[in-house]
Amino acid sequence: MALDIDRYAHIESQLQTWDPRYKIFSLFLFIIIVALLKTLPLAVVALFLALTLLKLAQLPLYFVSQGLKWVVLFLLPFLLILPLSHPGDAAFRIFGLGFAWEGFRLAIIIIIKAISIVITSYAIFGTARFDVSMIALRHLKCPTVFVQMLLFTYRYLFVFMDEMKRMDTAMKARGFIKKADRATLTILGNFVGTLLVRSFERTERIYKAMLSKGYQGELHSLVVFQSNTADLQKMGVTLIITALLIGLDLGGPFSTAEQNWF
Amino acid sequence: MHVADGILSGPVLAVGFAGTVAAAAYTLRKVDLEDIPKISVITSAFFVASFIHIPIGVTSLHLILNGLVGIILGVRAFPAILLGIVLQAILFGHGGVSVIGVNALMLGGGALCAYGVWQLRHRITLFTLDQNKNSIAFAGLAGATGIITSGFVLALALFTTGEAFWAMAGVAFAVHIPLMLIEGAVAATCVAFLLRIKPEILAGYQAMPPKKDKPTPDGETRS
Repeated sequence: MALDIDRYAHIESQLQTWDPRYKIFSLFLFIIIVALLKTLPLAVVALFLALTLLKLAQLPLYFVSQGLKWVVLFLLPFLLILPLSHPGDAAFRIFGLGFAWEGFRLAIIIIIKAISIVITSYAIFGTARFDVSMIALRHLKCPTVFVQMLLFTYRYLFVFMDEMKRMDTAMKARGFIKKADRATLTILGNFVGTLLVRSFERTERIYKAMLSKGYQGELHSLVVFQSNTADLQKMGVTLIITALLIGLDLGGPFSTAEQNWF
Repeated sequence: MHVADGILSGPVLAVGFAGTVAAAAYTLRKVDLEDIPKISVITSAFFVASFIHIPIGVTSLHLILNGLVGIILGVRAFPAILLGIVLQAILFGHGGVSVIGVNALMLGGGALCAYGVWQLRHRITLFTLDQNKNSIAFAGLAGATGIITSGFVLALALFTTGEAFWAMAGVAFAVHIPLMLIEGAVAATCVAFLLRIKPEILAGYQAMPPKKDKPTPDGETRS
């Protein structure tokens, strides 16, 4: 599984050059508003806007497909369960259960919104170096302790990913095959245990190394943010579009009486 | 299991964020300098471990291990889970930016409940088991508690979102029952391993068996 979210951060595009502080703030608001949309036409508009962001950032589709794959797999059951369990009039019956188009519509809205949000989140974090995004989070009043922890955790993900691959290769070399049985669960329990023991021993060494380099709990960074009018203009455009989305959704022409699921 | 974006209602999302901020502020209150790298590095190990898949018939499921996070990190399991959830939202985009609050409460709440169950091993002995086996039994229970609590919170979040999701809430909860058995078994074997190899990793570890009536001098919980 590829973990380097910032591998396309070097591209010179409208999104990559956007000051991360403004970018995270505006697009986070956009995401929250998209999550709250309840009409189908506006969900489609949101998807179109998200795809535009992807296009602007010049991120390839296969890069986001990794995240999209999981969200679609998670939401596929909704396409079946929501129509079959929706209270109210059923259009026809399958397996003795009523199939309601209203439930189906709901499931489609949910899937479109989820896909839009995943794509937007790639447009936020796939367009700046990871550490720069994290420093930007600190400027947005995220506690320093938490930002430090995020940076640490991200850095050691790669170490443990390699460690796990090595252990996995070693297990396979000794003839281990995963099955749905008790022996597999025991072996995996020991596997996780080994990983934890190694990580625990590593933290002690890391902490000593940090102390010897003068660590006192502060986060120093060479990243300096400089915003210009273009950053503000981009934020303005995003916020206007976001406000239009929620305004049209709440009071606009697409609302119908049946949309009372919030 | 975590919930995807775009499903839950505004109030549910807001409650998720508010609850998560409160719980994170409370559990991060007493963080020492040493805890910053410690919680982070152990979180990375758990994050990577959650990529492990177990084949079940035609499908496969991945480990969640939130109960085990509670067993290892104690109260600090909550910030650890929050880190995992935020990183997942950043790196994979799913399970996702708008539901960080709800997901952290769901899995982190499970981890805290698991820690509560795990600590009961000092007070209760099941079926006159010896200390070691008793701890392993409680580890299994804690692993199962972590998952079933999460299942309950997920079902609650769906249930309160609207009538259209009531059946979905039932299905979501039911999915957690087999998951609970698997996670309980993995937590128990993992703790059995750690008790043999490096018992001081475990939260609330006491070098000597606790006295019946008075607590040991260093009986304070370690994490």
